[in-house]
Amino acid sequence: MSSSSGFDVSVDELTVRFPDRGRPALEAICEQIDAGAAVALTGPSGCGKSTLLRTVAGFIPSLLPAEVSGGVRVGGLDVMHADAAVVAQRAGLVQQDPESQMCTLRVRQEVAFGPENLCLDRDEIARRVDRALRTTGIEKLAERTTTTLSGGEKQRVAIASILAMRPGVLLLDEPTAHLDPAGAQQLFDTLHRLRASEDMTLVVAEHRLHPLLPLRPRLAVMDGGRIVTRRPTRRREDLLALGLRLVWDRVTPASSIVHRPTLRWNDVSFDYGAGPLVDRLSLAVNAGEVLGVIGPNGVGKTTLLRLMAGLERPQRGNMVRDKDQTIGLVFQHPHQQIFERSVRLELEMDGPLTDSERHALLCEAHLEGLDDAPPLSLSLGEQRRLTVAAVLRRRPDLVLLDEPFIGQDRHNTAWIIGRLLEARDRGAALVLVSHDIALVDALSDRVLFLGPQPLLGSSEEVFATLAERGERPFTPGYWGGQR
Amino acid sequence: MIPRIEYHPSSRGLHRAGPVSNLLVLAGFLVAALSSSSLSLKGGALLVVLALAWFSGESPRRFLGSLRFVLWFGALLFAAQALSVRDGTILFRVGGPITDGGLIAGAQMTLRFLLILGASFLFVLVTDPDRLAHALIRLGVPYRYGYAFILALRFVPFFRRELELVREAQRIRGIRPSVRSVAGLRRTIRYTFVPVLVAALLRVDSIAMSMKGRAFGLYSKRTPSERVGWSGVDAGALALLAGGITMSVLSRRWGWP
Repeated sequence: MSSSSGFDVSVDELTVRFPDRGRPALEAICEQIDAGAAVALTGPSGCGKSTLLRTVAGFIPSLLPAEVSGGVRVGGLDVMHADAAVVAQRAGLVQQDPESQMCTLRVRQEVAFGPENLCLDRDEIARRVDRALRTTGIEKLAERTTTTLSGGEKQRVAIASILAMRPGVLLLDEPTAHLDPAGAQQLFDTLHRLRASEDMTLVVAEHRLHPLLPLRPRLAVMDGGRIVTRRPTRRREDLLALGLRLVWDRVTPASSIVHRPTLRWNDVSFDYGAGPLVDRLSLAVNAGEVLGVIGPNGVGKTTLLRLMAGLERPQRGNMVRDKDQTIGLVFQHPHQQIFERSVRLELEMDGPLTDSERHALLCEAHLEGLDDAPPLSLSLGEQRRLTVAAVLRRRPDLVLLDEPFIGQDRHNTAWIIGRLLEARDRGAALVLVSHDIALVDALSDRVLFLGPQPLLGSSEEVFATLAERGERPFTPGYWGGQR
Repeated sequence: MIPRIEYHPSSRGLHRAGPVSNLLVLAGFLVAALSSSSLSLKGGALLVVLALAWFSGESPRRFLGSLRFVLWFGALLFAAQALSVRDGTILFRVGGPITDGGLIAGAQMTLRFLLILGASFLFVLVTDPDRLAHALIRLGVPYRYGYAFILALRFVPFFRRELELVREAQRIRGIRPSVRSVAGLRRTIRYTFVPVLVAALLRVDSIAMSMKGRAFGLYSKRTPSERVGWSGVDAGALALLAGGITMSVLSRRWGWP
């Protein structure tokens, strides 16, 4: 079987406006991508990256209604007037969340799903599936059920299932957003292998650009629905020259860490019946301290937060914390903790705010003018900032955060960091679970690595040990930092 | 905790049978539950369900544990029937008279309920929904409906997980569900079902893009890449269906208790 041949992509004066939004999501975009080229698309959250990719893939306006003008052609096909299923033979989109893309139960079935829809004969389907599994390095997973895979494995299955369609243009929408650092590394390695073996056009929307450099992509920076900068990128310095900082400065530790544990665990173990998720862990989190928690997907980081919040009880060991203590938990998926009809009511669930207080809070959180908007109509990034603001309004003594930075650009990330440091400085203890190693490095007084051999210590000690062990994706250096 | 009613991948017992055979086994139990008034047949069939669950790698304790809400509801049904049906001889009094007719009516309804739910749960537990949909498509069901069925089954655990998370978020935020007043009920519904519904809609968008993005619906037919074979377990399943129907007919003809 021959490899996929790339198609060119031509975007001409493309404007997209969603019915419930005043400002267009994309405004007069013009872009020409040659067949076989690699493009890295970046920019602040809400700048239109996903909308552009979804339009090129033929989902807008045929599946997601929007007012659209201008044109998009993929290999000469006018995708604006074609059914998404027709466009799928030319351009394939891998979405952010690997879990929500699976529509069958086994890896081989999932990869075969597309070719089956093309009515190919069984031998050709088998050939395509085998090749896609080989290209993405997941031959050994072929007979596994998709529910047992890690996030990184699922995302590679999602890529394989698109590759089996032999689309010519592969579009990836922040494919590492939900992956642990090791899963993200596997995914970047897959993309490198793909570039070497297939003559495919590649468009990747990503915030984490450093690992993409070996692809030698052309960089397109978006802002406010437009492409504002285009340039080739080869080295780390090219990214820095564009003001795309890769790392965060370390924050100053709190002046007042009180060595009085807000939370203490002694020999705590917990499992859901399939091997221990937390195994004989002892730790203390002090008032005014930030504990960063990192580790592979599925290793028990969210479970750790659930135990700390009292949503689960350990099967062994004991947890000590003040019974009058207030706890704030920021969930990974914000819609699960949004209850009210408007942003204003959501913020005031725990007590009224004056107009000026509310206005200031919303402006800082980049939610200005959205007082009366239904919270669930906001973008995911906006919803996450709303939940952070609502949780911290209660001034909890223990703040538990599960991936609070997903989908935030640098500016909004800085706002969240500012709020967290305010909480820390008034004496709250913070436990931060994140796959963003650079941020964990910048913010944490101590780091807990959960994995087969857990580590707990200062961030310097933990990252040095992880580097020695060869777990580079879990160190800031892999993501463009110095350590 | 909401019960985990979903397919458990395994290679034991009925997992090795074809999906249509499992559907026929379920049909056998439904015939026994609905067409016969014999308590002993229904009780025996319920034991066979437990034995099949064990044969398929599910311990009776775990199987019954997953069905504990069904068992509680069955007990309520029994109590309601026993208290409300006054036919027959009065045996004793609990508030009102309890008659042998009431106890038999309660046992009839409860066993029927447990048999239908237990057999259905066993079916879901051992039947790969993908293979079932493929089998139905092969039998002539349009493939769009087949996949609608697969996705509906895949949404069950998703809804359960989302509902659990939303309830936990409510606990953390100090929201206590209340159904004691209309306002409390409305608030509980809004605070619970709106987030779950939003999650479902997001998931539907995502899955629709994933399927359309792989040319789903491009042609009126598609090529199934897997073949479904026939095994001894399938033959056993068919025998079970035949047995269920035969016993039901015999129980009616000979008036088994």
